[in-house]
Amino acid sequence: MNTFHADETMRRPLPADPIQKPGGDDSGPSEPKVKRPDTRQLLDRMKRVDPEQAKRYRQRSGQ
Amino acid sequence: MFICVYSWLVVHVAGTQFTPSSLKAFVNSLFGIETEYGIAVEDADATHLVAESREVVKSYAGRYASPWNYRAEDPRNDVRGFHVEKLSQDPTDAQFDKPADRAQTPSEDRCDRVLPNGARLYNDHGHPEYSTPECTDLRSLVAHDKAGERIVLECAKRRAEVLGKSIEIFKNNTDFHGASYGTHESYLLRRGVAWDDVVHNLAPFLATRIIYAGAGKVGTEDKGAPPCPYQLSQRADFFSVLQSVDTLHNRPLVNTRDETHGDARRFRRLHVIAGDANMSEYATALRVGATNLVAALIESGWQTPVALRDPVRAIKHVSRDQTYKWMIETTDNDSISAVDVQRAYLRACRELELPGSEWVLNEWEETLDALADDPMNLHDRLDWVAKKSLLDDFAASEELDWTRDAATLQSLDLAYHNVDPEAGLYYGLVEAGAMTTLVDETEIEAALCDPPAQTRAALRGLLVRRYADKIKSVSWGGLAVEEHGERIVLPLPEAAADYPALCAQIEATESLRDVAAVLRKA
Repeated sequence: MNTFHADETMRRPLPADPIQKPGGDDSGPSEPKVKRPDTRQLLDRMKRVDPEQAKRYRQRSGQ
Repeated sequence: MFICVYSWLVVHVAGTQFTPSSLKAFVNSLFGIETEYGIAVEDADATHLVAESREVVKSYAGRYASPWNYRAEDPRNDVRGFHVEKLSQDPTDAQFDKPADRAQTPSEDRCDRVLPNGARLYNDHGHPEYSTPECTDLRSLVAHDKAGERIVLECAKRRAEVLGKSIEIFKNNTDFHGASYGTHESYLLRRGVAWDDVVHNLAPFLATRIIYAGAGKVGTEDKGAPPCPYQLSQRADFFSVLQSVDTLHNRPLVNTRDETHGDARRFRRLHVIAGDANMSEYATALRVGATNLVAALIESGWQTPVALRDPVRAIKHVSRDQTYKWMIETTDNDSISAVDVQRAYLRACRELELPGSEWVLNEWEETLDALADDPMNLHDRLDWVAKKSLLDDFAASEELDWTRDAATLQSLDLAYHNVDPEAGLYYGLVEAGAMTTLVDETEIEAALCDPPAQTRAALRGLLVRRYADKIKSVSWGGLAVEEHGERIVLPLPEAAADYPALCAQIEATESLRDVAAVLRKA
C-alpha cells in the first residue's frame, strides 16, 4: 500500500516567522524578545464594546 | 458539510533521480474547514435566528448554483457499521423551535448556495455556515477560510440594510449560555485503516492540541464544573463521550459520521468536530497542518505511545488548567503534560519524512517549546493567548475583576470574534500589527472568486460560473444540469491528474453535452 503523503500540503511554503527560542544566561531569565501588542490603540475599540452584549447573546445549538 | 476528495498524482520529489523506482503514486492531502457563524440581530432573540440566518444566506448577491442534492448525504451513517434512527437533539435548544419558522423541505431550510470559488454557503440550524472548497495546501485553506468570513459578513450587511437593523457576525463556538456551534475539519483518510486505530491514536492528539489551537473562552458552561475565569478552548465544555455519530448533543471527541462524499470504497472523511474557530491565520494553519500530518501518521500504521485514561476528561482539564502545566493521566497510572503528548506526535510525524512538511513540523516544534517556556510569549499568533493578553491588559487598566466582571469580559471575548474589521478585537490587533498573518490581501481577494486549482473544486467553481442557471442540483461530488430539455449528470472526477488542463478543456466547450464528454474522458 502506498504511503499517504502530505507533500501537497506545503507545496507553496508559508512564510516562516520563527519564534524566538527561550533565551537567558547564568544571570537569570532574559527579557522576552517578542514585542507585546500596544493595546492602547485598541482601548477605544474595547471601551465601545457593550458590556452587556454577552448576556443578550443567545444562539441556537449547532453542530 | 464539507468533504475531501482525492486525486492520484505522480510526483517527482525534488532532488531525487527521476527513475521508475523513484516514481510513487501519492495521494494528495485534502482538507477543508466548515464554520457555523454566530449571528446577533438587533432586538431579536434566538427564536428568530433560523429565519434570520436563512435571510442572511439569501442575501448573497453573487452568482451561485442550487439546490443542494441532499439525497447524496446521510449524517446518521456511523462508521462503526450501523445507521442511527435519529441524532440526539439538545432539549434546551428545542424550546426555541417555532412551527411557523419550519421550512417545508431541506432545500428551503438550508438555502444552499454553491459559489464560483467552489465553496458552499447555507443555513445550518440558525447559523450561516461556510464550507471552504477542498484544498491541497495550507496557504489556500487559510485564504479561503478568511474569504468565508468576508462573504458571510457581506451577506449580513445586505440583510441589515433591508431589515433596518444591525446584524453582527461572530466566528466563535459558544454563546456563553450553553449553546455551542461547530467549526469542523475534514481530512482524507484511507478506508482501510481500522476505525479502532483511528480513535485510539487520534484521541490523545485531539485532547491536547487545544494548547495551540484553542480560541480561548471567558468562563465555563459545563454545569457542575468548578468556576474557571478563562480557559483555552471554546468547545471543551461540550464534549461528553469519546466517540459517537452525534454532533448536536452529547458531542463526542471523535465523530463517527461516515459520509465520505467521495469514493467510499477507498476513502473515508475524517470529520473532526473537536476544534475551535480560529481567528488567527497562524493557529488555523498549525491546527490543520498538524492534524493532517497526524492523519498520515495513523494511515502509516503508527501506534501512539500515549494512552490517556480519559481523553474527554483530559481535554476539559487541559482547557481549564490555570497553571498551564496541563498534566493529564495516562492508563498506566502515570501523568504526562499536554506539551509532551504533542511532542510524541511531532517526533513520529518527523520520522515520516513527508516532503514539504517542514513548515508545520518546525512551527509545531517551536510553538511547543514556547508553550513549555512561557505561553504568553505566543500572544502574536495563538488566539487563546492573544485574547488573554488583551483582556489582562484591559482588566488591569479598567480595574476589572475576572470573577466580578465576568460578563463584561465575556462581551470582550465575543467582540474578539466579530468578523467586522471595523469592530472586531482580533482585527484591532491585526491593525495594530500585533498578530502574525500568513496570507496577503491579494490571496484573500482571489479566494473570494477563484477555487483552489488542484482539486475538483476547480471544476465545480467553473461550472457554477458558466452554467449556474442550468444547474438543477449540486453536491460535493457532482452536478445535474439541464440543457435543451435534456438532463445531464456531471460527476466531478476525483482522479484527474491535471485539473487546470481539464478546466481549460471545459472552457473550450460550447455545450453541456461537450462538458459531459470531457468529464467522461477524465
